[in-house]
Amino acid sequence: MFWRLLWKLLRGSGGRLTVALLSLVSCAMVVSALLNLEFDIEHKLTQEFRMLGANILVSPRNAQVNGSGPAELMSESEVSATLGALKDPALVAAAPFLYVVANAGKTPVVVAGTKLEELSKLEPAWKIEGDGRSSPGAPSSCLVGRNVARQLQLIVGSPLPLTYLNNHAQFTVAGIVDAGGTEDNQVFVGLAEAQSLATLPGKISVAQLSVSGTSNSISQFAARLATALPAYEPRPIRQITEAEGDLLSRVRLLIVSMVILILVLTALCVLGTMAALAMERRQDVGLMKALGGSIGRIVTLFMTEVGVLGAAGGFVGAILGVELSRWMGRRVFGTAISSRWEIFPLTIVLMVAVALAGALPLRLLGKVKPAVIFRGE
Amino acid sequence: MATLVQVDDLRKEFGNVRALAGVSFSVEAGEWIAIMGPSGSGKTTLINILGGLDMPTSGQAVVDGVDVARLDEAGLARFRAQKIGFIFQQFHLVPYLTALENVMLAQYFHSTTDEKQARQALERVGLGDRIEHLPGALSGGEQQRVAVARALINHPKLILADEPTGNLDEANEETVIRLFQELHGEEHTILMVTHDPAIGNLADRRIEFAHGKLKHILTPTRLA
Repeated sequence: MFWRLLWKLLRGSGGRLTVALLSLVSCAMVVSALLNLEFDIEHKLTQEFRMLGANILVSPRNAQVNGSGPAELMSESEVSATLGALKDPALVAAAPFLYVVANAGKTPVVVAGTKLEELSKLEPAWKIEGDGRSSPGAPSSCLVGRNVARQLQLIVGSPLPLTYLNNHAQFTVAGIVDAGGTEDNQVFVGLAEAQSLATLPGKISVAQLSVSGTSNSISQFAARLATALPAYEPRPIRQITEAEGDLLSRVRLLIVSMVILILVLTALCVLGTMAALAMERRQDVGLMKALGGSIGRIVTLFMTEVGVLGAAGGFVGAILGVELSRWMGRRVFGTAISSRWEIFPLTIVLMVAVALAGALPLRLLGKVKPAVIFRGE
Repeated sequence: MATLVQVDDLRKEFGNVRALAGVSFSVEAGEWIAIMGPSGSGKTTLINILGGLDMPTSGQAVVDGVDVARLDEAGLARFRAQKIGFIFQQFHLVPYLTALENVMLAQYFHSTTDEKQARQALERVGLGDRIEHLPGALSGGEQQRVAVARALINHPKLILADEPTGNLDEANEETVIRLFQELHGEEHTILMVTHDPAIGNLADRRIEFAHGKLKHILTPTRLA
């Protein structure tokens, strides 16, 4: 009889309960989507952060980089072998750099020798005009920063002769880099050509690494690298890793705040609907009490009704929330947010709790006095 | 016969209004008592107190050995479920439950439901073909017969009827009164509030109220 009565109660107050159900479904949908986002945000943001470029720099201990002073150098093969041995999937890109200050004609320019093919992975945010490759039979290709290109009046396809001490090398401009930073003042050539130009075979100045993960995991990666390369100093680029961690914390706080706010607003909406429903049901409750219904039994009936409503709202909302989170992921990050099964029961539990919190007026029905109701007061 | 209801110096006040001003009487098991009097004389208040729907200000109302005034909320619920069958002038059926479910509702709050028994109760009051109808689809007389079936389903010690024919036309009134006569014949104890002297004359005794006080208790011989 309990479930029969419950079903009739749900059907009997269909209009008001539909309003409450719609509130709960909407709430569950948004909460489920936000919780899916919260669980996936670290992965998504760390992917986004890799657009910012290298976040670990490996350099000789106590070295001054970028050519000022007599720079200490590292062994390219040692660094490459160590990185290869780590086999860490968090390592998105690694590029060795050898910096020399050469002359383009009479103009001194910073030449960065690196693996040009790694640059697009290391610095995906760079805008490069041209395809970055030289024509067959042409001299070695290079990329030039936009400031260098402007100063030397270079365009894609222009020849670029470089001189370092008594060594000469001929390059063709295969692309113009717009990095928005100091890289706009540099010329990027192949590592082997730079080593040959500087007569420093097998040597590099620094290695720049792009590692995905939180600031903690990035620091741990750097520490592991430091153990493997005791002669060198791998260190996280703090401005980037800390900014990443800070942004992640803020986004998470924002999501959690929004979830709490939505839950409270929904509870208030349910509260309003239930207050109206409680007024409608005073007569029924008076009768149930007159027939011998105990407060506990009557309130349990109404609370179960609300709980069923919350569970139904949570169930439907959680399903819709998966779609909403996918849509949000595609709109914000360009890829769908992956759904987590834990969100499903969590959303249902939250909706049941919200519905019960909003059902306070129904609990007050336990105080109805049958004689007062039958007197029409 | 054993005394089923014992009322001693029963008083009930609503603020400054005195609804019952020291009422005393007793009812034997199996008696049919008609409670009569003008509006506001305290008849319904008496029924509500005897049924555990209201508390007296002072005095005693003992039903089947239970002093109603001493019961707490849970005790009152048990008392109403186990000892009392209510029949109201306004029927008070749950509008979204069928006739059968309205009867089963009383079973549910008493102990466990028995659909077969509930069907039999409705068949007994002549509603075997209206079992699955909602109250809105029943006439006033039919609704009152559902209320009678509901009141009887748990075999209560005392049936309290507050103007059960007050909202019925003559034909339905006759049907319902016939039911009460049958119940009386089966030795149910009935306290019925009524304004109708003809119905009052069918009872074993007639208790008349005025201004919250018991004015007369008329026995069948005096009625005659």
